[in-house]
Amino acid sequence: MALNGMLGLFLLTVALGAQALTPSHHLSAADVARLKSFLNQPYTELESAYYTIVGLSKLGASVSDEKAACQFLKSHLDLSSIDSLFFAAEASQALSGCEIPVSNETRDLLLAAVSEDSTVTQIHRSVSALSSLGLPVASQEVVSALVARITKEDNVLAIIQVLQTASRLSQQAEMGGILEEIEDLAARLDDLGGVYLQFEEGLEATALFVTAAYALSDHVDMEPPLKEDQVIQLVSSIFSKKSWDSLSEAFSVASAAAAFSSNRFHIPVMVSSQGPATVSHRQPVLQLQITDVLSQPLNSVSVQLDSAHALASKSVVLSQEPFTQRDGIFELNFMASQPASGYYQFSVTVTGDSRLVANHVELKVKVSTEVSITNMDLSVVDKDQSIGTKTTRVEYPSKAKTSFTADSHQNFAMSFQLVDVNSGGELTPHQTFVRLHNQKTGQEVVFVAEPDNKNVYKFELDTAERKSEFDSISGTYALYLIVGDATLENPVLWNVADVVLKFLDEEAPSVIQSKTLYVPKPEIKHLFREPEKKPPTVVSSTFTALVLSPLLLLLILWVRLGANISNFSFSPSSVLFHLGHAAMLGLMYIYWTHLDMFQTLKYLAISGSFTFLVGNRMLAQKAVKRLGSK
Amino acid sequence: MSTSVFSVISRFLDEYVSSTPNKLKVVDAYLLYILLTGALQFLYCLLVGTFPFNSFLSGFISCVGAFILGVCLRIQINPQNKGDFLSISPERAFADFLFAHTVLHVVVINFIG
Repeated sequence: MALNGMLGLFLLTVALGAQALTPSHHLSAADVARLKSFLNQPYTELESAYYTIVGLSKLGASVSDEKAACQFLKSHLDLSSIDSLFFAAEASQALSGCEIPVSNETRDLLLAAVSEDSTVTQIHRSVSALSSLGLPVASQEVVSALVARITKEDNVLAIIQVLQTASRLSQQAEMGGILEEIEDLAARLDDLGGVYLQFEEGLEATALFVTAAYALSDHVDMEPPLKEDQVIQLVSSIFSKKSWDSLSEAFSVASAAAAFSSNRFHIPVMVSSQGPATVSHRQPVLQLQITDVLSQPLNSVSVQLDSAHALASKSVVLSQEPFTQRDGIFELNFMASQPASGYYQFSVTVTGDSRLVANHVELKVKVSTEVSITNMDLSVVDKDQSIGTKTTRVEYPSKAKTSFTADSHQNFAMSFQLVDVNSGGELTPHQTFVRLHNQKTGQEVVFVAEPDNKNVYKFELDTAERKSEFDSISGTYALYLIVGDATLENPVLWNVADVVLKFLDEEAPSVIQSKTLYVPKPEIKHLFREPEKKPPTVVSSTFTALVLSPLLLLLILWVRLGANISNFSFSPSSVLFHLGHAAMLGLMYIYWTHLDMFQTLKYLAISGSFTFLVGNRMLAQKAVKRLGSK
Repeated sequence: MSTSVFSVISRFLDEYVSSTPNKLKVVDAYLLYILLTGALQFLYCLLVGTFPFNSFLSGFISCVGAFILGVCLRIQINPQNKGDFLSISPERAFADFLFAHTVLHVVVINFIG
């Protein structure tokens, strides 16, 4: 017993510690169908026909009209072009009963392409064409040509083609140097966030790399130097794109998918639940689907639950339990171990094939249950406890027959228990609300009912204390109990009773306004600035005359004093001075009516300096005259 | 008491009329005019309020400024004060008076609104 427990604990630690990466993307059945229909485009030229025919064959499908396809290949074949021969030869292999006629010239042309002077693409295409057409290939020559080309062309796509060429050669050839290239290429992959692994050249290059690496590894029966995490990351990258830009990209994804689902070394496995991962008493069985990257079910495997522990309490509920297989679905009756409701973490292992990759999976499973409300007691308690409480019990889902009245001297109290129907244990769901709804005004107030330490829910409404929430509006309120939780299958909305609340009437608003927040508010009328009160025109005019009257007095006084202009000398400077001075005074008036300060200063400077000069002259003359007459 | 005040005033007036040169009397008449204008403006403001306050201020300041400049002119051209203003001839005083008035007028017109 103790040993079992320890073993369980050890495996739990291992399972948790491994925290194995799982592929984030794969091709679902819908994705595969979409890929097939994308590949199945009408042929425009030999290359697109190649992608369509060979791509579909890799996915296990075939073109609708094989005869027409074969005819297309034969009619578009250009016997002088290696590329054309390659596409036609490869495509004809994928079709059944399609033979490309071969002549000696063709063979010589293809053999001549195998040399150090041709590009890797040419070597790859000619070797593949030779192999597909059933013609002999000198493997050692090819290997030496490839090795020579690697030094000259070491970009990713060239090396991928080297790998693909090598996979068509005889197994006796010396391919050690080429095999090392797989590891070198894998080192060039970029790790994106620990989730994706791909070449910076893009998705197509990554997918072609996978195809080539597994093709060569299968051919020489040597495991490719790719670690499990790398394989999972490659799967995530290649199948993350669900719509493809070009036929060649779709073809590369189809080839990679075929490579991942049927090579000799690594088969990535996808574990997913059938429907939502929820079990309950009505649905006690957890169903899992085990598929490969093409969503094809893997039937010859066995699935085992290593451990299931509750997320809240971390206690292990079940361990070392096998899943039973039924019609390609793996099932486990989790409710048989009578788990409490909540969330559980399942650690699942898929075994049965040594090639399986990503076969340790963590799943989050929800166990739901149903709640029942028991011991619902309603009472109206007087605050000073002088009158005994009368408790009414209400059974769900009926409503209390009489309504309860509470005024400001009384409290309304409610207590109940929430019980798990299936296990009989107490539940504390996330939502336990008490809603009071005034049917006449549409007003509603919601409170939270809290459990005490014995898990008995209590709610107390102190009428006087809570009057602000009710706006002191008295009336009949319908009382509802709302219970809800993610793990409850039967959320509850129960009209328990009617409660008549009496508030002090003088505090109630005179108009019971329904709380409408989103109606147009009263319009704000802009008040323009009122002009100041001016005195009546008569007063102003009188005073204008009054203010001007001292001028009259001045003139009279001057005349009385004998002031005169008899001494006015009509010299040019004095005339000009007076003119200039008059101009300045006139400028003042124009400044008041038309001009601004800058213009005035400008004109003032002009006339002022003129007046100054002539005035100076005039005053000098006057001074001379005065001093002379002294 | 009242007789001494009355006699002081009448004496003052007699002396004023007799001994002040005509030129100064002309200036004094001008000063009296300015004074009355300012006082009337102030009375109007007291009666009807300060509504266009800027206009009232500019008018009043104009009177006050003109009065001050007039007083300065009178002081400077008074022959009895010649000792105090040796470098300033009456013509110079008048020129200063005109220049200061120009500045005053520019400010007043700017402020009158």
